[in-house]
Amino acid sequence: MHHAIPIGRSGQRMKILVIIPAYNEAENIENLINNINELCPYVDYLVVNDCSEDDTEEILHRIGASYMSNPVNLGIGGTVQGGYVYANKMGYDIAIQVDGDGQHDISYLKNLIEPIENEEADIVIGSRFIEKQGFQSSAGRRFGISFLSELIKVCTGIKVKDVTSGFRAVNREFIKIYANDYPQDYPEPEAIVAGVMYGGRIKEIPVKMGESAGGTSSINLWKSVYYMIKVSLAIIIRRISFGIRR
Amino acid sequence: MLPVVLRTTLIIGMFCYFILLLVFLKKKALLLKYALLWIVAGVFLVLMVIFPDLLTWIKEIFGMVSNMNALFVMVLGFVVMILMALTSIASRQAVRIRTLVQTNAILEKRVRDLEKTKSSNNANDMEIY
Repeated sequence: MHHAIPIGRSGQRMKILVIIPAYNEAENIENLINNINELCPYVDYLVVNDCSEDDTEEILHRIGASYMSNPVNLGIGGTVQGGYVYANKMGYDIAIQVDGDGQHDISYLKNLIEPIENEEADIVIGSRFIEKQGFQSSAGRRFGISFLSELIKVCTGIKVKDVTSGFRAVNREFIKIYANDYPQDYPEPEAIVAGVMYGGRIKEIPVKMGESAGGTSSINLWKSVYYMIKVSLAIIIRRISFGIRR
Repeated sequence: MLPVVLRTTLIIGMFCYFILLLVFLKKKALLLKYALLWIVAGVFLVLMVIFPDLLTWIKEIFGMVSNMNALFVMVLGFVVMILMALTSIASRQAVRIRTLVQTNAILEKRVRDLEKTKSSNNANDMEIY
């Protein structure tokens, strides 16, 4: 099945950038780039290498990939934001975040783009919990995710199931907003709240995710507790600092 | 009343404190805008030591038992304020550094891309001749 080049309402071809934050992704990054080139030749991509300690940068250089490198480590928030700053500067119409570890299936890119193309949504989130296919994460994590999901619903009135999904697309307006103001540390759930607070329409679409291919994600109890407290607080503060807008 | 010995010690201490501040400022190891809070705190403490009645007055307003307590609470208050200011300065700088890093990364990419097109152009020229 071939997907036509996305055309906006104005009839012009849309410029699309895939932002790939990468930290120590030497094992997966080449595969991911090949996938994008093969499955979605009509999009540009940009790997943002967050000062990786392995051969990520050498690989990117060798295969002639489009990438930029942070001179010091910024963490996921600053890295993704760097991608948005670039997208904003280069005048992209749509930006899509894809994790560098290869857990996101590139064949879903067109599904993420569609609602923005049709102007149904400003922010589209790829969710693994709608059709409940693919890797569903551990029970503990699912509990944490549904807690944050409820918290976001209470704070914003919007229900998003997969709040930690890093597989999302935004339109021109939110490229600009995220370039100026993107949450740090553990940004995904907070970015949803920020999106709603800036008046964005959010749509969740079903995707399948794999288990993070390389790298070990640290399932440490204290780290999870810290994560939950930090993110919950960030969501609440984000909500308060915008006042009563809605 | 504060004991005389303590008052003398405090005065000497404050003297050293101001000398140190001055040295830092002179060496430009401390920006004046960040030193302001330190200076204000120092002036307050000196006033307390020179005019103990001021301390007694503050003590009575807040219902504290002794002058010493009042002095310690005030010092603690200033220290907390300075620490908060420091945290806020550090946070603001983190934001600035982040912006710099992002801008630098983008510039580096653009320069690299330019060099690539330039060198491939040169290669094409070589082929022509």
